[in-house]
Amino acid sequence: MKGLLKVFLGVLTAIGGFVDIGDLVANAVVGARFGLSLAWVLVAGVVGICLFADMSGRVAAVTGRGTFDLVRERLGPRAGLANLVASTFVTFLTLAAEIGGVALAFELATSVSYLLFVPLVAFLVWFVIWRMPFEKMEQAFGLAGLCLLAFAVALWQLGPDWGELFRQASHPSVPDGEGHPTYWFYAISLFGAAMTPYEVFFFSSGAVEEGWTRKDLKTERLNVYVGFPLGGVLSLAIAATSALVLLPQGIEVDHLDQVALPTVLALGKIGLAVLIVGFVAATFGAALETALSTGYSLAQYLGWQWGKRTAPKDAARFHAVVLVAVVLGAMLVLTTLDPVKVTEYSLVFSAIALPLTYFPILVVANDPEYMAESANGRVVNALATGYLVLLTVVALAAIPLMIATKAGQ
Amino acid sequence: MTGRVRDLALHLLDRQVVDTEGKAVGNVDDVELVVPEDGSPPYVVAILTGPQALARRLGGLLGQWLGFWSHALSRPDSSEPGRIPMELVTDIDTQITVARTRQELGVHRNEDRARQYLILRIPGARHARQ
Repeated sequence: MKGLLKVFLGVLTAIGGFVDIGDLVANAVVGARFGLSLAWVLVAGVVGICLFADMSGRVAAVTGRGTFDLVRERLGPRAGLANLVASTFVTFLTLAAEIGGVALAFELATSVSYLLFVPLVAFLVWFVIWRMPFEKMEQAFGLAGLCLLAFAVALWQLGPDWGELFRQASHPSVPDGEGHPTYWFYAISLFGAAMTPYEVFFFSSGAVEEGWTRKDLKTERLNVYVGFPLGGVLSLAIAATSALVLLPQGIEVDHLDQVALPTVLALGKIGLAVLIVGFVAATFGAALETALSTGYSLAQYLGWQWGKRTAPKDAARFHAVVLVAVVLGAMLVLTTLDPVKVTEYSLVFSAIALPLTYFPILVVANDPEYMAESANGRVVNALATGYLVLLTVVALAAIPLMIATKAGQ
Repeated sequence: MTGRVRDLALHLLDRQVVDTEGKAVGNVDDVELVVPEDGSPPYVVAILTGPQALARRLGGLLGQWLGFWSHALSRPDSSEPGRIPMELVTDIDTQITVARTRQELGVHRNEDRARQYLILRIPGARHARQ
């Protein structure tokens, strides 16, 4: 059991990347409109994030350095600053959306408007970061987030034709009535969400927070290869349940209750109750991940003391940044901006940040001065280089596709 | 302190500086060079750290913008960048270690202000949670 509790850094990181408020809805939208014809994107996303999260975690364990530290050192202050501005903006927008997301999950449970919950949620997010030990935090929210496995149970209960589902997933084609640009817009959204930069900022900094060393490389790998595939499975289960129930009925998804609908159908009220716990945990976990990542990346770029290992008074600027980010995030949601839409548009900014984040990780993971015998092997380097090319293509295509399809409408 | 030959851009600039307690002091945002008149190679006399140093090194519009903000946000007595003489540097590795604590170096005015005016006013600021 003790060994199992060690994988929750990976689990929480993946939950924040794959099933945060934007992706909960996006996965259901994709299932309801495209069936499983975009499942291959999730597989590609899981492989990509495993590859780079493993590198960032390995560098963190061997050298004790978080990812943004490397970004600044390897790209220099200028390109590093461009990445800092772009990725902080994405991370901040996502933080705002997640604060709204937790509130939306409360609304689903109580039917009281989500706006009333926003200040409370923001306070709780900050309070957990201020007071809760890092490992307790990742275990509590990672474990509760596993309630989202209700989607997988529901899928099982719905008794689908597994052969047909597999055929859809393995022979992807654009369904009738959907345009190619829209299909590719959603492909890029899912891929971008799977590989959002704050996942590696959080994972590598979390590894430092937990004090991993060279001895913990096994734990590091276990975290990567349990956490991210689990995130992928949750995403797939959401898409599959909505492909089975919502697609044939022609139901359009734009709210959290439609995301839950297939599970309620399959598992009844208990299913809904479990799912709501999962929604709260996943969005709250994503809020913690993004709030901390904002502080981590800024502090690492500027060389400040950061993290939860020391008393807040010894990392004063770090804690000040996190506090300000949470307050501003809550204010942004209180303008009644739709949290789900916010995460969709943040894609534009992550486009710039993606290559500028993953390139320095690859460089340092190959540097013998830092890594000694733990440097990358040839296969990993070949794969990672392929992904860098892919990420650059995605980055270039994201903005034109978004404009052309009006964000997938 | 003579005889340490390093590639400046690769081994010094932008690296993390830590104090005797392993706490972060700042980054190497710039360095102070001395060029000897006898034509021998230039050497580094001090590490400069803080937004003012970074602004100068960045130059251009970006540097001006950063310089403006760091100047506007700092008190008049702290508009110079933090300076750490090379005599205090004990180790140049993947991070730079100096033989003083953060307080003794006195390059930490912004951190001190964030602590004094915000963080210490919140209950629980003095306790680490492991």
